[in-house]
Amino acid sequence: MERRKATGEMSAAELADVVERVRAGDGDAWGEIYRLYAPAIFRFCRRALPTREDAEDATTDVFMKVKQKLGTYDSSRPFQAWLYKVASNHCWDMLRRRRIRQDLETGDLETLPLEHPDPSALEKMQFDHDSKQVRAGLAKMPDRARMVLVLRYYSDMSYDEIADTLGVRRAFVGVLLLRARHQLREILGEGGGASMLGATAGGKP
Amino acid sequence: MTHFDEMTALLYLENQLRPDMADGVRAHASECGECRDLLEALNRESIWLRESLEMDDEMVPARLIQVPEKGSAPWGWIAAMALGIGGAYTVWNGFIEPWRAQAAEAGFTQGNLLTMLFFSGAFWKGWEAMRSMIEFTALATVGILVLWLVRKHLTNVAPAVVAMAGLTLAAAFAAPAAHAGRVEHGSPNYTLAADQTVKTDLIVFADTTRIEGNVDGDLIVWSQNATVTGHVKGDIIAFAQDLRVEGPVGGNVRVFAQRLELSSTIERNVSAWVGNLNVDPSTKIGGSVILGTGDGVLEGSVGGDVQVYGAEFDLNGPVGGNMYVRAKDLKIGQHAAIAGTATFHGRHDADVNSGAKFAQPLQTTIISEDYGDRYSSVRYYWHQVLRWGAAFVFGLVFLLLAPTFFFDASSALNRYAPSVGFGVLFLFAVPIAAVLICFTVVGLGVGISTIMVWLIAMYGAQVIVGRWVGEKILGAGEPGMGAALGRMALGLLILRVISMLPYVGGWAMFLVVVWGIGGMVLAVNRRLHQSSPAALSVAA
Repeated sequence: MERRKATGEMSAAELADVVERVRAGDGDAWGEIYRLYAPAIFRFCRRALPTREDAEDATTDVFMKVKQKLGTYDSSRPFQAWLYKVASNHCWDMLRRRRIRQDLETGDLETLPLEHPDPSALEKMQFDHDSKQVRAGLAKMPDRARMVLVLRYYSDMSYDEIADTLGVRRAFVGVLLLRARHQLREILGEGGGASMLGATAGGKP
Repeated sequence: MTHFDEMTALLYLENQLRPDMADGVRAHASECGECRDLLEALNRESIWLRESLEMDDEMVPARLIQVPEKGSAPWGWIAAMALGIGGAYTVWNGFIEPWRAQAAEAGFTQGNLLTMLFFSGAFWKGWEAMRSMIEFTALATVGILVLWLVRKHLTNVAPAVVAMAGLTLAAAFAAPAAHAGRVEHGSPNYTLAADQTVKTDLIVFADTTRIEGNVDGDLIVWSQNATVTGHVKGDIIAFAQDLRVEGPVGGNVRVFAQRLELSSTIERNVSAWVGNLNVDPSTKIGGSVILGTGDGVLEGSVGGDVQVYGAEFDLNGPVGGNMYVRAKDLKIGQHAAIAGTATFHGRHDADVNSGAKFAQPLQTTIISEDYGDRYSSVRYYWHQVLRWGAAFVFGLVFLLLAPTFFFDASSALNRYAPSVGFGVLFLFAVPIAAVLICFTVVGLGVGISTIMVWLIAMYGAQVIVGRWVGEKILGAGEPGMGAALGRMALGLLILRVISMLPYVGGWAMFLVVVWGIGGMVLAVNRRLHQSSPAALSVAA
């Protein structure tokens, strides 16, 4: 699984050594870990959570947890993957605790449109909106929709990992992803998202 | 030919289809331009999403780049608390205790500030009778506040907290009512006839109250209009629009009123917060007088000191002690005879009749409100420099002791509406809560401490806002103490300059205080949130 690159990333062996030193109580080693990954975790949290303040809080919390749970870390797994797992779990729990999840898991495919989106309309939407607008659109999305897009397209998490983080069945991850894409199109299209659909009739295979 | 749907296309692109289904999609797309276009469009969308998400358009906050020092936060908080307690102690010794001592010299010899000001022992005597919805609401408010503050720790200390809270509330409700007074609710008026005598305290709630008979204890009155012509052997404590006291009073007179007229003999002291005051020449006050009044005339005799804070004040009677008046205008009539010192702080020289007698010359200090005069004074600018320096030193200590809280509070200012909203709430709710605390559960010490924290927060607000202003001008800069101090210094300088502006400066600083306090409240809330046991329950 490919992850975001942390600034000044060290080799796997070096990282393993630093992690071991942290486990042994080396404060300097913890400083190295923090300096290396705090910016990356903040960027992840910034995308997963609706406000910058939330992201700052979450970053601090994530590292508190990492420090507490480092003893349970399985060093045979990539440290970065584990770190992002802690971060994504924390962000999702944070949102869930606040009870601001607007959407509920249903596993229901009927809410998805059956028509193909119009490829040219999709292309136009991508052409018309820069990254900043997309990020602004993400901030307006329901929490789970935003979260699933970030986990998949920013953190490159597998469907299994996403399912584990969000507490849904693996088969439902694809539905969440597609629904999230539709919601983002709707937001960016300012209600005109329907124009991207139905231009091409489609059916179930 | 049957086209595949968007879900299938997405799963195909994400390698989530079973191999046989993927083969089917691939085969169909090779023959169907429409579905091939769909696949390409979705793939482009995936790339576009990845690129958009990867774009770094925000700086990482400086405070996150700094490695949190081991144990720094709790020690910082403990040190800040210690500083706060030290500050409270200093303020107590430097300001409150001397004032209290001065008031005691003026005849107020009760045990603490509140009883000294108004209630004496009568409040507690009447406690049982006065227990009403207001008291209950006050207790409930304080209780809820305390529970809310300790809610994060309830899982660990729940039994102790609940037991203590229960005992405290029970103790408050069970306050001895050994001398409960007689309570009268007027319907709507109440009159104690001239031939009647109340042997205990008398507590009256009525639109119009007339006390023509005698009260052997204290008289406590909530009334629109109240007239006392009978003999009150204890204190008179009154909250009224208009109050006239014509009968003799054996104790003190403590009053909140729009208008107060005294025409009697009062054996002890008078303290009043009134709009208009008129003390008749026939009035004799055995003790001292403390007044907060808009327009006051004191023509009777006073055995002790006279302290007045008001707009316009006329003194035309003998004063056995010292006189201190801080008012816009002071007029001293020919019958005035001040046995002690005489001090006046006002806008103009006092208008002193040549017949007035002084044991010592009147000391007058003119307080100028003229902006022109102010701005032409070098001393004024020097004072501004000193105030800037004091704020910077405060900020420096703040930053050294509690850096995380400092940065948290400053960052929270970006949430404009919540910070201003919480600032307003804190600014006005805390003093009210502090007074309620004084009156109810835990007593004067906690109430005064709360006020001290409130005052420190008010002063500290400019430091928080100053750093925010500096950062907006200079940018976030390099992480570390130096950059933060530089930005704070610049911000404080700008705020000091703004505060010097005529007319708008005061309002601007008020906004700074509200906003800064709001930031601190949000930061405290964030800290409480972080310390929540629930926040530590995520499984990695």
